[in-house]
Amino acid sequence: MASYLVHRLIGTIPVLLLISLLVFLLIHAAPGDPTLLLLGEETNAAEVAQAKARWGLDQPLYIQYFKFLKSAAVGDFGKSFKYSEPVTRVIQSRLPATIELAIFSIIIATVLAIPLGVWAGSRPNSWLDNLGTTFGLFGISMPSFWLAIMLILLMAGVLNILPSSGRSTYGIAGLEQSGFYILDSIIQQNWKGVWDALTHIFMPALALGVNMLGILMRVTRSAVLEVMNEEYVTTARAKGLREKNVIWRHVTSNALIPVITVVGLELGTLLSGSIIVETVFAWPGSGSLLITALNARDYPLVTGLVMTYTAAFVVINLVIDGLYAVIDPRIRY
Amino acid sequence: MRLPVRKLRPMAFLFLLSIGLGITAGRAAAQKRVSIGVTETIETLNPYGDSVSLLYGIWSEITGPFCTYNYDKGDFEGRLAERWKVENPTTWVFYLNKNYKFNDGTPVTADDVVHSMMNRVIKDPQSKQKASVAGPIVKAEAIDKHTVKFTTDKPTAPLLGFVCDRFIVTSKAMFDKYGRDVADKEHMMGAGPYRLKELIPGQRLVIAKRPDHPEAKRNPRAPDEIVYRVMRETEQRVAALLNNEIQIAQFIPPHLRQRVEQSPNLKITATDSVEIMFLAMQPKPPFDKKEVRQAVCHAINRDQIISTLLEGFASRLDGPIGPGQYGYDPNLKPKLSYDPERSKKLLAQAGFSKGVDAALQTPVGRYTLDKQLTEAMIPMLNAAGFRAKLLTPEWPTLWAGVQKGTVPFYYMGRGSVQDPSAALHQYFHSGETPRIGYSNPKLDELLDKEQAEFDPKKRRQYLSQAMSILTEDAPACFMWRHKLLWGLNRGIDYKPLPDARIFGMDIKVVKK
Repeated sequence: MASYLVHRLIGTIPVLLLISLLVFLLIHAAPGDPTLLLLGEETNAAEVAQAKARWGLDQPLYIQYFKFLKSAAVGDFGKSFKYSEPVTRVIQSRLPATIELAIFSIIIATVLAIPLGVWAGSRPNSWLDNLGTTFGLFGISMPSFWLAIMLILLMAGVLNILPSSGRSTYGIAGLEQSGFYILDSIIQQNWKGVWDALTHIFMPALALGVNMLGILMRVTRSAVLEVMNEEYVTTARAKGLREKNVIWRHVTSNALIPVITVVGLELGTLLSGSIIVETVFAWPGSGSLLITALNARDYPLVTGLVMTYTAAFVVINLVIDGLYAVIDPRIRY
Repeated sequence: MRLPVRKLRPMAFLFLLSIGLGITAGRAAAQKRVSIGVTETIETLNPYGDSVSLLYGIWSEITGPFCTYNYDKGDFEGRLAERWKVENPTTWVFYLNKNYKFNDGTPVTADDVVHSMMNRVIKDPQSKQKASVAGPIVKAEAIDKHTVKFTTDKPTAPLLGFVCDRFIVTSKAMFDKYGRDVADKEHMMGAGPYRLKELIPGQRLVIAKRPDHPEAKRNPRAPDEIVYRVMRETEQRVAALLNNEIQIAQFIPPHLRQRVEQSPNLKITATDSVEIMFLAMQPKPPFDKKEVRQAVCHAINRDQIISTLLEGFASRLDGPIGPGQYGYDPNLKPKLSYDPERSKKLLAQAGFSKGVDAALQTPVGRYTLDKQLTEAMIPMLNAAGFRAKLLTPEWPTLWAGVQKGTVPFYYMGRGSVQDPSAALHQYFHSGETPRIGYSNPKLDELLDKEQAEFDPKKRRQYLSQAMSILTEDAPACFMWRHKLLWGLNRGIDYKPLPDARIFGMDIKVVKK
């Protein structure tokens, strides 16, 4: 297992290099000039030239790239043009919000999708199956930005039961320690803060997780349908086990492998989806930060964020590979 | 084991009730806290790290405005700099108000002003305000403890337009003691009527009133705390206003006005913006011909667009500026009014009797209904003999193109035009910026004269003559100024400013 992981980690180096080159070239090729976007409307040519020299933009692109690679190798993505702070520090300050949101989205998606998928798959063509399939289709086809706006209109505007945006209410949230508001509030035993953070996270997590929910539900249903025809299921029934035990102990546990693969793959979608959802809900995470960085053509910050996302993808896939062995003891590396 | 659901029900009810009471108590404790939904993102604790209208206003509240523009009087008035005089055309002397004190009680001195201008605005590589705030200022020096001298590189009559409501004065002592970054983050020492309480980048900024401040005594009903919440989506601001999450919402689009007005607790207030909206034309084929440019101006039915799409919430511009802006001349001529037949004749005169291609570029979502308004212009242009189409590049692409002079025909706004001098120079003076690439020696001469003229009457005359040339030669068609709609809770008395800056001292909490 350990040698497998080492091999996989070494294999990620060319991936990271290629991604860094692509991102670097793409962001520099995109129309728009950070100096013109960041220095205000009344800026002049002299000030623009000074900023270009300061940010190293007056040097040939290949030199800029090699300088970037050299510093990125030791975890330094340079200084953000907009924030004038090290990129790693800016990302660190925003990442907990995105991780917290992603965790909640996964919780919402899996808690609803797996039971729905199992119920639908174990009773094919029943009303429950039809309902579940329709629900899954709804989740897959629903654009997250539209759902986000609709949720705001309904839950905040009409029903007035949830806050429309943000991550916490001023005056209720306690001191920030880990950057994870819910965890911080629990540690500080600030129950009002916990409730406040939960009310704030619910809508963005739902908007972000609905798509994943739909896909997971359909994958679970298909996997359950497939496993239901296996001989060991027939054997379990023949032994006289209750149907509930057959489905949840024998069918579901064996149907989970493709579900976990999809969860892993969808985590990436979750990160990219968070870019839109965070912007709509004014969620101060790395997704909204990427939009701000792109709009300002903040090259170091954009590159740093994309590299962070890439690294997250790699790690997630490694974890998923490891989980296979835990869930299915037959799999060994 | 089965859970005793029946026994748990009363406990659950009490738990929810306690949370509800807790939240209600939280709300009651913040009776004089006003939350404002704003459209700009607030990202950095460095007061000089952004050049955005909203943030100039907020930082001015924290550090004390140097001076301010009074729209009712139509003139600048003193704050930290209580008065000033022009010693000679390139030297301005500002006299500081001795009652202005930083949060720690130390008085604001000329050294702080000089430090802020020279070290923070002009020389600091992190400053993004050099061109906007310092402009022509090349030197700041202290004459005595409460007197400062600014020297400009050329005579600049509209200098106050650079420093008033923009120049942020921070403590030199804190900078010297802790260095820039720590001073900004942990020891933000301002002399304004509010002090910084919290900033969560991308989410909110909170300021708290300093009751002992000279400005605070002017309006005792000003909010004790103001929470600026970043809300870029219009639907979000309206929803938050409806459920009382915020009490003031910036920029409600006309089509959402009714939803706000239907609520008995809310009202809409409109104010004329000082942002001028125009169609700019690079003088390259086909717009190198004056007749083509004038044909564009005659083709657009501005009144119809204002009355329909904008539901009346805009004022037509018959020249670069409108009422309330410095140098406005109601008798300015010519007026290029809606006349499609005249457009056709002008195009024929220019040699385009069979029509001419025109690709109009517009930002999307940056200005009120920008895409919809320009969409409405396309059939109007076509009816007047153009073969027009609309292009909608993303903002960074369009803006970079405009600033490099590579966009031939575009819809744009220019904000903060209390005094039009800077905007006119920026867009229409030869060699200043390539945004339009227009050159007219006669106009240049008039603009140079007005900038160096300290007699207001003569300056207005020069401005009027310059604007008359601009309207006639039509390097741009001036469209309208939007009336900005703000959603307000009825417990708030507030008259928004035309430049969209928000000063807490202008807000009154009238109902708890």
